[in-house]
Amino acid sequence: MCFKNLPIAFDEDGNAYLKEDVANPYEYKVVDLGVEQDKLKSLMEKNGFIRSVDYDPVTRVAGALAFHSVVDLQEGKVLSTNSMATLFRGYEIILKGRDPRDAAYISSRACGVCGGVHATTSALAIEMALGIKPPPLGIVMRNILLAIEYLYDHPLHLFLLSGPDYSEELVAATNPALIVKAGKTKARNKAVHGYDTILDIMKDLNPLKGKLYLEALSMTRVAREAYVQIGGKYPHPQSVVPGGISVTVNITTLNEVYSRLIKFFDYGQKTTGIWDDIFDFFLEANPAYAQCGVRPATMADTGVWDRPEFYDGTFENCDVWGNARWSTPGILVDGEVVTTNLSELNAGLEEFVEHSYYEKWEGHRFKTDAKGLPLSPNHPWNKDTVPKPGKQSWKDRYSWDTCPTWDRMPMEAGAYSRMYLTAKAQKAPASQFLENTGHSMKIKVPKHNLPEAELEWKIPTHWNAFERNRARAYCIPYSAMVAMENWLLAQQLIRNGETKVSTPYEIPKTGTHIGFGAWGAGRGFLTHHLIVEKGVIQNYQIITPSTLNAAPRAPWGAPGPYEEAVLNTPILEKFDQPEDYKGIDILRAIRSFDPCMPCTTHIMAKDTDHVVSREVTTCACGIE
Amino acid sequence: MLVELSKKTFVGTVGYHILGNHSIGPVLLPQLKAIDFPNHIFVDELNWGPVAVVQQFQAEAVPYQRVILLCAIERPDRGIGDITVFQWKGGLPDTDQIQACMGDAATGVISVENLLVIGEYFEVWGEEVFLVDVEPGPEQAGEQLSPAMEKKIPEILDQVTRLALYGLDNSQESSLLFGNTIFTDG
Repeated sequence: MCFKNLPIAFDEDGNAYLKEDVANPYEYKVVDLGVEQDKLKSLMEKNGFIRSVDYDPVTRVAGALAFHSVVDLQEGKVLSTNSMATLFRGYEIILKGRDPRDAAYISSRACGVCGGVHATTSALAIEMALGIKPPPLGIVMRNILLAIEYLYDHPLHLFLLSGPDYSEELVAATNPALIVKAGKTKARNKAVHGYDTILDIMKDLNPLKGKLYLEALSMTRVAREAYVQIGGKYPHPQSVVPGGISVTVNITTLNEVYSRLIKFFDYGQKTTGIWDDIFDFFLEANPAYAQCGVRPATMADTGVWDRPEFYDGTFENCDVWGNARWSTPGILVDGEVVTTNLSELNAGLEEFVEHSYYEKWEGHRFKTDAKGLPLSPNHPWNKDTVPKPGKQSWKDRYSWDTCPTWDRMPMEAGAYSRMYLTAKAQKAPASQFLENTGHSMKIKVPKHNLPEAELEWKIPTHWNAFERNRARAYCIPYSAMVAMENWLLAQQLIRNGETKVSTPYEIPKTGTHIGFGAWGAGRGFLTHHLIVEKGVIQNYQIITPSTLNAAPRAPWGAPGPYEEAVLNTPILEKFDQPEDYKGIDILRAIRSFDPCMPCTTHIMAKDTDHVVSREVTTCACGIE
Repeated sequence: MLVELSKKTFVGTVGYHILGNHSIGPVLLPQLKAIDFPNHIFVDELNWGPVAVVQQFQAEAVPYQRVILLCAIERPDRGIGDITVFQWKGGLPDTDQIQACMGDAATGVISVENLLVIGEYFEVWGEEVFLVDVEPGPEQAGEQLSPAMEKKIPEILDQVTRLALYGLDNSQESSLLFGNTIFTDG
């Protein structure tokens, strides 16, 4: 019984039904956000400081997300937060009326980093809608492609975007006492990464010139080189198609991939050692850091990496092939797994637009899925994207992002959700490289230049900014080992003569065909919901990880994940004057999500007219 | 005018696709590729990220001596299709700005300013870097160029071709572009 808020129950045979004693099963309360805003305004008036915040100094070329918060610098508290997507992207509208085969290429452009995962998610949606089963080598090569994409993405975030927040330059400017302490603290993982003290690591995290920063840049190149062996190009591969891939693969291709992949064996060890040392240092230096970006471990993940002996693309079998994935799909609520079934993950999804610039749509076309699971009128298959630009108001609408929920709960998404669910659920296949213990994931990394090692990522007590990034670091060896597992499988398939990489198919010109693709971007959960009618796309709905993470308030007032994480963040930064305040704690909290939009953060200091504006850029992936 | 045979040259187009006049670079790429340039002139799009561009340029055994970037940036006091040739004279903005450029660059934002700054930071630019910057007018989505822009295509292609073959001669007007003011100048 995974649903607590939606009125869906299951009979003794496991068949879902809508509870009969509920008058309006999908009704929800809409709270007036004006009450909270008035309270905040009154509080500030009492202190004699009311300030309007300028939301428009987005000085970069493609600002797509802004974040507003009001902080009390005396108390070290965040009083109010709002996450705003400031651009309408329109992919869902662009795709309407098109040939479904266009979807992989067009939706891929939704992101400048994770285009490959959009292409694959689109292919999966079409495979489900049209009943296409790719051949084993096609499935395995898509797995390798995805793992390599993560090997590009995670170092990029950890060292180029998030790393500077923990660098000597930033820490010296925001918490100078920590620098002194870092200089005296020995690094525990010196044997792996070679740094003697924490300060030595921090120095090489410095942006633009630090060795770790520059090394990550070069590792992104290694990953890209491996990727293009299969994808043809990066970030928008040409070879991912419904039914498999469109390039032939031979032993030479695999060898080219392997020669790059093995470099991530050592790099995975080094990266986890670096970040374990950095984060342990911060958390030990000041335990209050455990509250930075903290929120319950309530997360959604689609799972990734299909196993060729299970994946058939059908909705009917999606729970079976979903549970067989190398990373387990599912839902975590406060650290507990409530389902690992893709059908239940799908059925619990809803999108709300009360605080977004969209019209509420009419109708409830799909009342159940093909298994009989009830679907809300707010489910993506029932949703219609109708933009409604308007005035920004904290009391009403303030974002182009929608508010997706699962069982009426805002959900967090991330690379780490993939790891958390897999470790906790213990449903992933037996592997020579990976072991899930229920409280940790053990990763056996083979020897390359460094000796072989067993790394262990442990599910943390507090789900905070530091743990998000720590888990992301462990996702590097995790992804490398899944790639290796699949590389061995690909070798075996080619040796066995199973070299077919795609299954031909026709687009039916009649009838209605529905499907959803469930795959994972570098920053987690990604779904494409598709309806094909009379041979063309009738509806296409995309939920990216940042749609989840950057969500505005739910109609009933629940904050989105960014909003909640920042609300819980204490201000630990040291500064003499409010004007010197840089907002590093809030930036660490937001950046730990790997926000999938160039994000500008505005922090208004209560009792001052000081507005801090900072960039929190990651990939230019879109919402809606 | 003599063709400079010795200068290894790269002609690159920069800009988002399907953005009307703003996509003049990508739109003209096939026509630029179809020009029968000498072997020392290479033509390709440069939309795949400044970091990757830097890495490719670093990997060249013989560095490019001349780079020409075709782009469309909205600027005041220009009519649609007006062409301005800028000479890149180097210089860098402050470190925060470069890191912001890296953030955008690493994440897929297409911007010629980012490309110039990051290329400068990693010292991949040769002795001559030119921007052929065509006024696109207000941003509009779509695959079509406006009639005013369409009319200018021969002139744009001619400008790029002349720069690629001969460099900047005295008869051509040009403006200077510096990295330390690129984000502050209009």
